Amino acid sequence: MSDSKPKSQQEVASEFTSYYLQRATKEFAEDLDKVRTADDFKNDAIHLLVNALQQGTALFSPEEQRRIVETAVEKK
Amino acid sequence: MGKRQFRGAENGDGPRKRQRVVHEAPTSEVIHTSRQLRQLLAFDPDLGHSRHGLQSFKILLDSLLARDDETDNAEKRQQHEQRFTIIKEYLQSTKPIEDDESATYLPDIMQTWSHAGQVNNENLLSAVPVVLALLLKLLSQSLELTPIGLGICRTLLQKRQQELISRSLSADKGKAFIISPTLRMLREAVCFDGGAIARPMFRARASMLKSLARNMGIVHIGEEPEDIKKPSPRTNALQFFLSAIKYLHPEAKKELLAQRDVVTALTRDIKQDQPYLVLDLLNGLRDHVLLDSKVPREAKSNLLNSTTLIKISGLYYYRLVSDNLPSIPDAAHDFLMTACTNPSCGVLRQDTGLYPREADPNAAIPSADLEELGLEAIVWMNKFKTEVPVRNFVLSNLLQNLRPWSSLKQSELITSIFKVAPELIADFFIKNKSFTFEPKLSATWIGYAAFLFNTVALPLPEYFCRGSGYAELPPPTSIVMDNILPLPLNQKALSRCLTNKSRMISFFATRILILAVQKLDTAVKMHQDPAHSSKSHNNQTLWTEAARRLVDEFCQRSPGIKEMINAYRSIPEDDLLHREAASQLLRLYYEVIPQVALMAKFDVSPLLETALKRLSTQERQKETDSQEDGSENDPRDFALSLKELENLLAIAGYSPGMRWFAATEQLTLSPFTTLLKVYVEAPSGVSLAPVRQVLHFVAAEQQVVPAKDKGHPGISVLLESFKELQTSSPACVAVLWPFLDKCLTRCTTAPVKYLEMLQDLGAKGAEDEVLTVSPLVAAIIEQLPFAAKAADSKSTLDGLSRFLPRFLGYSAAAGESKPLLEAAYASMSKHFAKGLGKSLSVPKKHPFKQPKGGKSTGTKSQDTNNTTSEGKKIKSGDDIAALNSDQLERVLDLPDSLAADNSALVKWQSKSVDELVDEGYAISLISLLASEHASIRKEALINILKMASKVQQSEYEEKEQIWLLLSELAETAKVAAASQPVSAVAPLPSTIIAFACHAVNVLRDPTHSLYPKVNSFLTRGPFWSVDRVPLADEVLSEEPAAGDSYYAQLNWLLAYLLDGLRTSKDLELFHKKRAKGPLFERLLAVAGNPYMRTPLKIQVIRILYRATKIEEGSTTLVTRFGVVSWLEELLKMKKSLSPMAQSQGGGAGTGTVVTTEDEVAVYKGLLKRIWETCDRERVEGWSKGGVEGVIA
Repeated sequence: MSDSKPKSQQEVASEFTSYYLQRATKEFAEDLDKVRTADDFKNDAIHLLVNALQQGTALFSPEEQRRIVETAVEKK
Repeated sequence: MGKRQFRGAENGDGPRKRQRVVHEAPTSEVIHTSRQLRQLLAFDPDLGHSRHGLQSFKILLDSLLARDDETDNAEKRQQHEQRFTIIKEYLQSTKPIEDDESATYLPDIMQTWSHAGQVNNENLLSAVPVVLALLLKLLSQSLELTPIGLGICRTLLQKRQQELISRSLSADKGKAFIISPTLRMLREAVCFDGGAIARPMFRARASMLKSLARNMGIVHIGEEPEDIKKPSPRTNALQFFLSAIKYLHPEAKKELLAQRDVVTALTRDIKQDQPYLVLDLLNGLRDHVLLDSKVPREAKSNLLNSTTLIKISGLYYYRLVSDNLPSIPDAAHDFLMTACTNPSCGVLRQDTGLYPREADPNAAIPSADLEELGLEAIVWMNKFKTEVPVRNFVLSNLLQNLRPWSSLKQSELITSIFKVAPELIADFFIKNKSFTFEPKLSATWIGYAAFLFNTVALPLPEYFCRGSGYAELPPPTSIVMDNILPLPLNQKALSRCLTNKSRMISFFATRILILAVQKLDTAVKMHQDPAHSSKSHNNQTLWTEAARRLVDEFCQRSPGIKEMINAYRSIPEDDLLHREAASQLLRLYYEVIPQVALMAKFDVSPLLETALKRLSTQERQKETDSQEDGSENDPRDFALSLKELENLLAIAGYSPGMRWFAATEQLTLSPFTTLLKVYVEAPSGVSLAPVRQVLHFVAAEQQVVPAKDKGHPGISVLLESFKELQTSSPACVAVLWPFLDKCLTRCTTAPVKYLEMLQDLGAKGAEDEVLTVSPLVAAIIEQLPFAAKAADSKSTLDGLSRFLPRFLGYSAAAGESKPLLEAAYASMSKHFAKGLGKSLSVPKKHPFKQPKGGKSTGTKSQDTNNTTSEGKKIKSGDDIAALNSDQLERVLDLPDSLAADNSALVKWQSKSVDELVDEGYAISLISLLASEHASIRKEALINILKMASKVQQSEYEEKEQIWLLLSELAETAKVAAASQPVSAVAPLPSTIIAFACHAVNVLRDPTHSLYPKVNSFLTRGPFWSVDRVPLADEVLSEEPAAGDSYYAQLNWLLAYLLDGLRTSKDLELFHKKRAKGPLFERLLAVAGNPYMRTPLKIQVIRILYRATKIEEGSTTLVTRFGVVSWLEELLKMKKSLSPMAQSQGGGAGTGTVVTTEDEVAVYKGLLKRIWETCDRERVEGWSKGGVEGVIA
């Protein structure tokens, strides 16, 4: 078990975002590859893409984010 | 004088020759003394000599300005000291004796300058301002010489100098060598001593600002970038302007910015400017105009017109880069963010939210009009579908020039503007037609989707109008809709996204839809705010009508629920994020627009089972993983899957016909037991509160556990005993599930049987005690012998021998009858070879009073959640207020669907058969049979026959059935009419007509569960008996035939019966004696079904409500059907059930019934309504005062 100190909301949010992105890139790996080879994919398009993917974190309430992130904390 | 010569110079030959002199390099000499300097600068008609002097002076000044005290060595510093003394002495020696306004400083230089003007010597006209600019720059660094510097500046303001300045500024475009130094000189002057003479300089603006706009347009030409040491007139002009704007007083700024040509010239060529200049310009304008609170708003608006803003927005594509300067696109973005979203910057105007400029939200409308026309009485209601007049037209123009799909920053700018000027959302998408949401896997589409996501995520403006309270009239529905689902998000595009083969596209569309449904929910709630009724009754109806319209429009713009379900089904098992989003979307549909969601007849059980199965597998995998390396499986994935499960559980709660206790092909256990298993075996650290809540709800509803009102903790007994066993010996738990599943299933199919068994077990007459013991205990006793005989009996019995003492012990601790439990224990013990031990293992600590002690690993977080779910006191119902008549009307009163629209007689004729059936024209025509006018009914009948033949001759797939339905209906009408006197033919009963209308919808969909029943009804005979209620028996008492569609069929029946109850004649049909009892009686019995979901129950309540609106209706309900005690029973039933959806917020007051509290309020409201509308004398007589007692 890791330390019992509760994480700040900011930590939870950033951990959740990285988890969300990791999941999304895994689930849509094939589509993301296709986008990368599209004609209109220029330098700053990568930011656009990452930003678009992580928007979805807004659909999870802070409590839900905490619940998911803290499941990992208790991993044995 | 000078002017004339100048003009001559342009025309004559002389000046052209002199022009060539430009390239002759001036001579110079090193200056050693102030005296020498004075001599050099002394006025001399010989122009060459003057130029020599000025050039020498310039070199001296340059060297002084180039000094650097930090790096220069002592010798150099001394040299500088000496040079500065030369200048100081020179200035002091030439200082005028009387220092007043008219005193002339540097008289020699001024005279040389004037002379140069007279003879039109361009070299000198350039050399003098060069020297003066340098000198002023040097003097600005010396406090001692500031008075002299000021004197020089004032000298520049004298008439003679002003003329020279004006002339130099307006010199030929090509004479940058004159224009630039003059601008530099002016810049030094305006900055001098903190802008000391900025005010008088502005007074002399006729010459000082001469040709400013023109000079701003003289840009650097050439392929090389502009040399910072040789700035173009544009650069100099901009720098002069920026210095002026810094030091001028607010009124002067206003006047300066009122010069349109100057303002336009500022940004006209900004794209080519050097980075440092662009930054100076943006920062200068921001600090000294936008953020200067003393500058009047008007001046700021003059500066930030559409042209300026669009030019600045062009900087998003600025390409020049300078190493040590911030990026220009970023700076431009910051500038625009401030300029466009800060109301004090003069661009943003206060709008009225979702009410466009021309719509008066508080317009007075005659109440007669409102009553008759409803929303149509508001002239502007439908006006803004293709154009929205806005107050922020400047911003509106700017937005059209941005490209949010290709740039994050531009997207951010637009959404920030939308946030402060919500009126622009609808306007933006109406104007921006070129960009569609047609799915295409490209960066642009994703950028656009992200932009739309952010737009939909914006909150609705407060009170829709951004005021301090709601306006009288609701906002235009189309505008609200454009805020919820902007125009590009239309049904076609969204459907194509959901069905797109690229799953990411479907995922993005799903996420946007989730936000949209949430926003719709907020909008509808705002429409239903009680504040609307506090003003006048009319407004409340209007707002309610608007809310209904909004939902209708939403349904037209959003994809069909079936598409969403199919999209969800097609998502691969492992795409957890996507699955979670899709299930959340469906759940929201059930919660926000259940009328649409329920239409889809979506059977959630298979998906729920899949999710449960997956979760069980994940658990297993976890176990194996932890034994191996444990890296593959992320426990967060489990938590995410659990969220999907929660969504599905919620959907199961909303949809009728969820079978919790039936095992299926997919699962070996019933869904309930599987859920129980998931709960018990979940990895530690996962919060399971929602799962636990569902288990509680289902267990209480199915009476597997004793009723909650006796203080029993419900399913917790089972859960806690399992959790404990899971910690000590997990292997035992795993073998118990099949056995437990069997017991639970039996318990739900015959609860009474097991209660009787318990009674036999205990002392006679101890009925109360029996009720406190879980029927599950009896089921276990009954099933134990079978378990002992089974093949795997050893392991099962072994597991049971550990489980049963705990389970019964916990049951005792939960307050169940101990003697009974001990008797049960003894009887169980017989089946074990070694017995079960001496006694129950009652936990020492009370497990249900303090279950938060973290008895089992990882229950900590869920238990904290339990405090809220279980600890919440179940309201007894006594403290819930009944709905008042308005609220009750909103919840229960549905409009009369058979209301006559006589135009239906004509409309159908031009339509194709597909349209007749699918778009409701046939139904409208059938409805006319209920018209109160005999002539209309006659016409309708004739038209129905015509329609029937048109259908028969068509290629429509279901033409035979539709033809049969129409013909039989017509025949029924004819037969009914024939039996009545010709003069007084009454319309058909509404039930018959409503049946025909609803049957049309069944016939056009062969997959409808009632399709076989309706068809067999139609083939029974050529006409229908008007005394009967078609299909009522078939649905209420026969097998549903098609799978588990009982509740769906019931839903259909109730909907048609509700439509069919309109007149007192219809009422007779409802209470007429029949073989299986009067219809009312059967409906009341149906609603007594404890497994029936709230929406269906409310449908029955609606029928009752409809009856109370008919004369004698309430009295009949009370005296013939005992509806008062029936409602009382329902209320009692509610008290004993734990509400699953309690935490989801109430909605009865707002038109939807979600929670138990809502239901209670509705029942109470109906009781009141019945009492108010019945014949009290008769009822009192009938009940001997009993009914009044109940109601009071």
